[in-house]
Amino acid sequence: MNRLTSTHLIHAELRRLLATSLWKWGPLAAVFSGGALTILCVLVGPENFDPPMPGVDTAAGVRLVLSMIGLTVLAPALFGALAVTSEYRHRTIAYTFLFAPKRHRILGAKLAAYGIAGLVYGLIVALSAAAALYGGAAARGIEIGASPGAVAGILAGLAAAMTVYTVIGVGLGALIQNQTATLIALGAYLYMVEHTLAIIPGFNLVYPFLPGGATAALTESSLMSEAAVEVTGSATPLLPPLIGAAVLLAYALFASAAAVLAPMRRDVA
Amino acid sequence: MHPPHRLEIRGLTKRFGPVAAVTDVGFAVEPGRVTGFLGPNGSGKTTTLRMLLGLVEPDAGTALVNGLRYRELPDPARTVGAALEANNFHPGQTGRDHLRIYAAMIGSPDSRVDEVLSLTGIWDAAHRKTGGYSTGMRQRLNLATAMLGEPPVLVLDEPTNGLDPEGIAWLRRFLKEAAAEGRTVLVASHVLSEAAQLVDDVLVMHRGRLLAAAPLTELAAGTTLEDAFLNLTGALA
Repeated sequence: MNRLTSTHLIHAELRRLLATSLWKWGPLAAVFSGGALTILCVLVGPENFDPPMPGVDTAAGVRLVLSMIGLTVLAPALFGALAVTSEYRHRTIAYTFLFAPKRHRILGAKLAAYGIAGLVYGLIVALSAAAALYGGAAARGIEIGASPGAVAGILAGLAAAMTVYTVIGVGLGALIQNQTATLIALGAYLYMVEHTLAIIPGFNLVYPFLPGGATAALTESSLMSEAAVEVTGSATPLLPPLIGAAVLLAYALFASAAAVLAPMRRDVA
Repeated sequence: MHPPHRLEIRGLTKRFGPVAAVTDVGFAVEPGRVTGFLGPNGSGKTTTLRMLLGLVEPDAGTALVNGLRYRELPDPARTVGAALEANNFHPGQTGRDHLRIYAAMIGSPDSRVDEVLSLTGIWDAAHRKTGGYSTGMRQRLNLATAMLGEPPVLVLDEPTNGLDPEGIAWLRRFLKEAAAEGRTVLVASHVLSEAAQLVDDVLVMHRGRLLAAAPLTELAAGTTLEDAFLNLTGALA
């Protein structure tokens, strides 16, 4: 009987997460991504953007403002990637695999621990965005153009998306292992490759099925789609929110499988 | 008292690209004795230990702890305490935090963390970040990590690197006591003068191959361990 229980392993990973000062930056990044970005958009007003867009007194304007949060998914993805790459960088992975030589179990524990952390991050994003949306609108003396239920639904979707991106980060970190390479790959993909694909005719057909497109589907609004219309005159329609959520979940499952399988037989120098 | 655990290595072979790191190495390590795994840097000692510990996959051969491969052990960290390189720490974590993570992994209480901190003499440094530790303190933290599970087997790679003379004397006493308690102790070292004062049995590695496996008294009969080693490796003119 193996005395290494999953509870012990997840407990250890949560301890590891809280043992460095990195975690303290998580809530700050979440408030910036959710609260600061949203209140900036609300106070400036999408109707004052160039080109002008629907204001937050319309449902489309609310979706547009909240969809901006989807552009900040790099933060939870990087956070998740550090779960594994930090272990390789500081060579603590040798201890970790000595204590838990069935490697899939430790990667499963990391996915669970960072899934929890990603959800907490997402909830802070959602709560701070809600406070900013309603607070900013009140400060400008305008009414929000979407029902509280609709706003809550969008924010819940975004919180779930933040969790998914954290898990994707863990998976990518396990695959690449090198910290710098993982950070560059994530940044380049999320802010260059995906954005470019969204506006290239032909390639833009796949955008709704990419992580960024699926995230945009949760808010039924995408700045990238708006950009595509500006550049090409048209944009590929986003997936329905539930289908977008299913696509994101599929990415999370794929990343989880990669995380668990990638380190199985690799030598630890 | 711990039940005796025997280490058994058979035909271990590992290549890294064109380099034959370890070739057909086989030996046994008996409980209740300190076994020195001796050889110059690059002779294949560390690779052999990493294969024993499941960190490196052998191309051929087996390495068994009480008849099981390391990955098959039901409770690995409570069976084998391993101290490899002494720089495997997150510099932003304190020594205590490092130990608490691995104690949690095997379900040990925090009181065990306090015990190993005292045992290895780094209690005073426990609240400092490991990035500021000296090499000697890292070696002690390394050993403290290995001892968390109170294992009956100790596998240590160059444990005296960076230790001051007092630390080396302490480690010598510690390992002899561990063997006297029935533990199986395998210590890799390239410092023959230190090994001569510590080990009961000797394994000599050279260029990835095992040249000799014998009790120290037999191998160094009528001479010193250093001369015996140099004779074996052909380095003595």
